[in-house]
Amino acid sequence: MDKTAPTLPTAPMQRGHKTSRKFTSFAIMFILCAASVTMVLPFIWMVMTSFDWGARLNIPFPPSFWPEDPSLRTYRAALTNVDLIRYILNSFVVAIGVIVISLFSALLSGYALSKIRFRGAGLVLVLALSTMMIPFEMTMIPQYMLFNQIHLLDTYWVFFLPALNYAFGTFLCKQFIDGLPGELREAALIDGASEYGIFPRIYLPLCMPIFATMVILQFLGVWNELIWPLLALNNPDKYTIQLGLAMFNYNNGSRQMPSIIMAATCISLIPVLVLYMFLQKYIVESIATTGIKQ
Amino acid sequence: MVSENAQTIAGQQTIAVRRKWLSSTDIAGWCFVLPLLVGVLGFSLYPMVSALLTSFHGNGAASAQWVGLTNYSRVLQDDLFWGALYNTIYIGGLSAILGIVFSFILASLVHHLPWQRTRNVFKAIFFLPNVVSAVATSLLFSLLFHPGKEGLINYALNWFGIDPVGWFTDPSIARLSVVFMILWSALGYNTIIFLAALQSVPREQYEAADIDGASALGKWRYITIPSLRPIFLFMIVMGVINGMKQFTNVWLIGGSAGNPSGALMTSVLYIYRNAFLSSQLGIATAASYLLFVFILLLTLVILRINSRNQLN
Repeated sequence: MDKTAPTLPTAPMQRGHKTSRKFTSFAIMFILCAASVTMVLPFIWMVMTSFDWGARLNIPFPPSFWPEDPSLRTYRAALTNVDLIRYILNSFVVAIGVIVISLFSALLSGYALSKIRFRGAGLVLVLALSTMMIPFEMTMIPQYMLFNQIHLLDTYWVFFLPALNYAFGTFLCKQFIDGLPGELREAALIDGASEYGIFPRIYLPLCMPIFATMVILQFLGVWNELIWPLLALNNPDKYTIQLGLAMFNYNNGSRQMPSIIMAATCISLIPVLVLYMFLQKYIVESIATTGIKQ
Repeated sequence: MVSENAQTIAGQQTIAVRRKWLSSTDIAGWCFVLPLLVGVLGFSLYPMVSALLTSFHGNGAASAQWVGLTNYSRVLQDDLFWGALYNTIYIGGLSAILGIVFSFILASLVHHLPWQRTRNVFKAIFFLPNVVSAVATSLLFSLLFHPGKEGLINYALNWFGIDPVGWFTDPSIARLSVVFMILWSALGYNTIIFLAALQSVPREQYEAADIDGASALGKWRYITIPSLRPIFLFMIVMGVINGMKQFTNVWLIGGSAGNPSGALMTSVLYIYRNAFLSSQLGIATAASYLLFVFILLLTLVILRINSRNQLN
């Protein structure tokens, strides 16, 4: 079934080949399992330490994977130190707004660039694609200055307005809609449908796979973003989850409260991990397909 | 709206309508791309132009004054800028190269497994750290990489008789530790993309090689790697661009001074410091343009090397 399967084995070779294949598979499994353990051990340590009241001041010596004094008090301490629940809700508000606005912009423009042959379409596409090359770090200072001038710093407009510029989404939608037949639009036009009604009624329902991909990518992006909220939000009531989590960071060399920091980290990870648990196959699939296109 | 009339008769009149300067189709098209256009112009092009202008103006109170290229020459004479660039290239370049090598090996191994189910499990495990935010990763690793003997990694090294290492406190090692951290979180992403690419290598080539009696390693070296060349190129370019943008992790670990001893001062951290801590916007925007040009040049060089190799 695999490409490695020998197609034309000569009879005497077959036996040896088979055992060596078994051995190779075993060796591969061994290496992959070792790699997986390396990937997962930090997580396990994080979760175990987060329940260890004994590690609230210092990492116990010798370090262990089993909590010395298992307790939920670490979580209560994390939640009373910093209002993480509020920041999680804030992040959800930001994520929903950004997803709605950016998908609106990306789907409409992707459809128009794919199916409506309007004058200037090529120019718009080139413009959008070339801005994808500009790193956010280039534009963060003038964006900050712009929002400062229009007095929108410390509001969620700092996330919602730039969400209009989701050029990568436009690109994904254009690619996806390119694969849908254009005859649907032409037939509808002949039947007297309005250009503005065709997309929501005919094409949008067909766009669900790319819709879901974009929701996932944008949610993860908003949830994990630190630098822009750090610049644009000063009022602690407005903080997003990553800013709240960053409050547990102490840059003084001696790191205190390991189990409480880990409890806060675990809390911040819950929504993403739940999403990953249910949509794991789908997320991996979207990365595989969108990554190459990018 | 405007097009309603035109639409109802679109059937017969498309030819006549098309002669007008803007047909109803054109108007509809521009209406559809309007949100994107507002976003691109307002939050991408305008900031680029605005940053360019700021970089030619004075800093702080003198921000209205045109100073020409002064900011650029000040940045280029700043040792801190060059130090930051060195650190950025060190961290970004090493994590990109090691990331590509390791993830390609992992992807090849996963790809060779004959069981679809097992492959998916490994994919899910390797990708897991990728959904964890940079903040969470930095907090976790600053505990795992605790400089004392109670740090988990140091404790494990102790079994092999290695003394505690100051992962994030020793200036000569801190950059390497950040590279390890980036590898942990980013390896899965590259692995997934390589796996998707591996599936696209045409089967016939392997079958032909099997007839010639090629070994698995030989096929990997002479069929798989050459046919994935565009993917490697893509990964290198993306790795360089992403590597040059490191901020969150180094800021959390080393603060805005890039501790220990400036070993973790990256270019974006340099820009951030100048803009938001000492309000030298002219310096910061000049530095960001220099970084942008540098990334652009690096990308062009990589593409150039690739096209030359392809000719040979």
